Amino acid sequence: MIIRRWIKLTDTSVSLNGKKIETESCGHALLTHLYRERNDYPKFFKMDALSKLGFIATELLLHDESQRFQPRGDRAVIFIGKSGSLADDTNYQKTIADKDNYFPSPSVFVYTLPNIVTGEVAIRNKYYGETCFHVIDELRADKIADIISDAFQDADTTSVVGGWLECSDEEHFEAYLFIVEASADGQAPEWNKDTIREIINNN
Amino acid sequence: MSEPILITGAGIVCAIGLDKTEVLHALLSEQTGIKPLKYLKTTHKEFPVGEVKLSDEEMATKLGIASDAPTTRTSLMGMMALEEALTEARLNRHDRESNNVAFVSGTTVGGMDKSEQYYNDFLANDSRNAYIATHDCGSCTEMIADHFGGFSVITSISTACSSAANAIITGANMIQAGITDMVVAGGSECITKFHLNGFNSLMILDQNNCRPFDATRAGLNLGEGAAYIVLESASSAAKRGVRPLATLSGYGNACDAYHQTASSPDGEGAFRAMEEALAMASLQPDNIQYINAHGTGTPNNDQSESAAMRRLFGNAMPFVSSTKSFTGHTTSASGSIETVICLLAMKHRFCPVNLNWQNADDECVVPVHQKLSDIALHHVLCNSFGFGGNDSSLLLSDINL
Amino acid sequence: MDDLILELKKQIIEVLNLEDVKPEDIDDDAPLFGEGLGLDSIDALELIVLMEKNYGIKLKDPNQGKEIFKSVKVMADYIKNNRTK
Repeated sequence: MIIRRWIKLTDTSVSLNGKKIETESCGHALLTHLYRERNDYPKFFKMDALSKLGFIATELLLHDESQRFQPRGDRAVIFIGKSGSLADDTNYQKTIADKDNYFPSPSVFVYTLPNIVTGEVAIRNKYYGETCFHVIDELRADKIADIISDAFQDADTTSVVGGWLECSDEEHFEAYLFIVEASADGQAPEWNKDTIREIINNN
Repeated sequence: MSEPILITGAGIVCAIGLDKTEVLHALLSEQTGIKPLKYLKTTHKEFPVGEVKLSDEEMATKLGIASDAPTTRTSLMGMMALEEALTEARLNRHDRESNNVAFVSGTTVGGMDKSEQYYNDFLANDSRNAYIATHDCGSCTEMIADHFGGFSVITSISTACSSAANAIITGANMIQAGITDMVVAGGSECITKFHLNGFNSLMILDQNNCRPFDATRAGLNLGEGAAYIVLESASSAAKRGVRPLATLSGYGNACDAYHQTASSPDGEGAFRAMEEALAMASLQPDNIQYINAHGTGTPNNDQSESAAMRRLFGNAMPFVSSTKSFTGHTTSASGSIETVICLLAMKHRFCPVNLNWQNADDECVVPVHQKLSDIALHHVLCNSFGFGGNDSSLLLSDINL
Repeated sequence: MDDLILELKKQIIEVLNLEDVKPEDIDDDAPLFGEGLGLDSIDALELIVLMEKNYGIKLKDPNQGKEIFKSVKVMADYIKNNRTK
């Protein structure tokens, strides 16, 4: 398996394949600023912070891929994180915290599941393949390598968009996402824990 | 698939029983476990639910856990189900350690039953801290695993209502990848005020008992419980001399890619997941005798799932029923709870009835609504669909084939 | 009535996160669902919450929404006749 492309997107910086993208804003404003550069998917504003992070990171990762938006069942979407949907869970809890002002919000509740972000990426890109969200205790290159490698056990999966997607609140988040492919390619870096660790440590 | 993956142990705790024997009895005598709310401390008493019929204290006592030890309802149910599975598979601590056994558990709410209860105490005077530490998914999975010890890998899957099914798929993939020969996989979930209110805000709860596939269906009843199965490579089972219950001969996971919470009118994700499971097992639609449907009882799911089943099976429609009419919708645990129910059905040669069905709906399949026993179930599909369009299907096969 | 319609448009934009829509962009009689704003089933549920929270009107059946949320004008009429806040 090889890494076709990767992106690091945190609340303070963006790098695509090792090339830093200059930005002035940070936190939630950074995601909105990156969205505005394309501004073609108003549903973005309905998403919770985790889904916005996953959406923007994959938009940057996939933006000029050939045959993008052609429906496909051979690409899996697999995210791995520690906090899951905790940031949105907290927002939802606020809508039911006060019994005298008690209005559970359906649109906030919808996002109190860590895998809704995989659904958002699938809806946007027309991916009908496997989707999954794994909860692990901390950012670990070896676990990320194994989880995504395992996905290729599925006979139909030839490509995975996925990686570390972590959002502790609206302003603090970090994503290391990759397009991983089954094909061998002499040029592209190999998908393994050492390559992943190097990307995380050096960017 | 290279080597067959066998199921060598199973354990279950849900609204209709605290183990397989009780669950079997309830299924055969058509006794639902959906009743008025009793254990959850909430004002929303208008919704019938499928609660496990024990308080936390009673579960802790059964497990030999001190009453003041911080535990969560999700963990307690998980421990009970895991104990039954490990006992049946004859996997003591030493066996687990020497065989590199992994544990994969699906959950969404984790320890939220306690954190939502004690949150204000914690804010007010920093008390009940232990229950904040037990809040998250991972810590509940670890509590369940650590009660028994000896697992090499412990991990959580959180994909809403397909979590336990995906935990089983992940476990099977780990065996196929040669990481280990044995994985205990499934899920556990308790009812919380957080998601009872959440589902209510989506207006998909029924104030009456749910009626899957019925023309008058009006929503789901929430349930809770836990179930685990022991997945084992054929060579490992042979070496240990354990008798398998069934084969996990196929599985599929696909995305509906339609909406965050609603299912597509043509059931695309469900169709692909079932089709994939069949392809993996090298089976045709007419090889399937029974489908344990996701069948939540919502107008949307039952129509969408029926569309998918009709597209795939056409005139060769197997028997279909939703056992959520017995257990309620056990959300993250439903994939494994319903897998264990399928194992019981296969062993005891019956199709579980789809309770409360009376009125045919043109857009829905007609489920099994009368006793159907003395029937050989060679191949069975078990569907679990989660929000986010995360659709999974597991194919179980008779070991005698 | 005009005040209510304007107030309603602002509330709709806020609760449904319609970032790039201004009140003057929403036609009083334009359909809210399907065409126009392209709202979906979750948006309909949020409008049900809005009705209760801001106007004290409790809708028990989500299907009532299909009639009441036909357009901002229809919604405003319903609120005018049924509000308890």
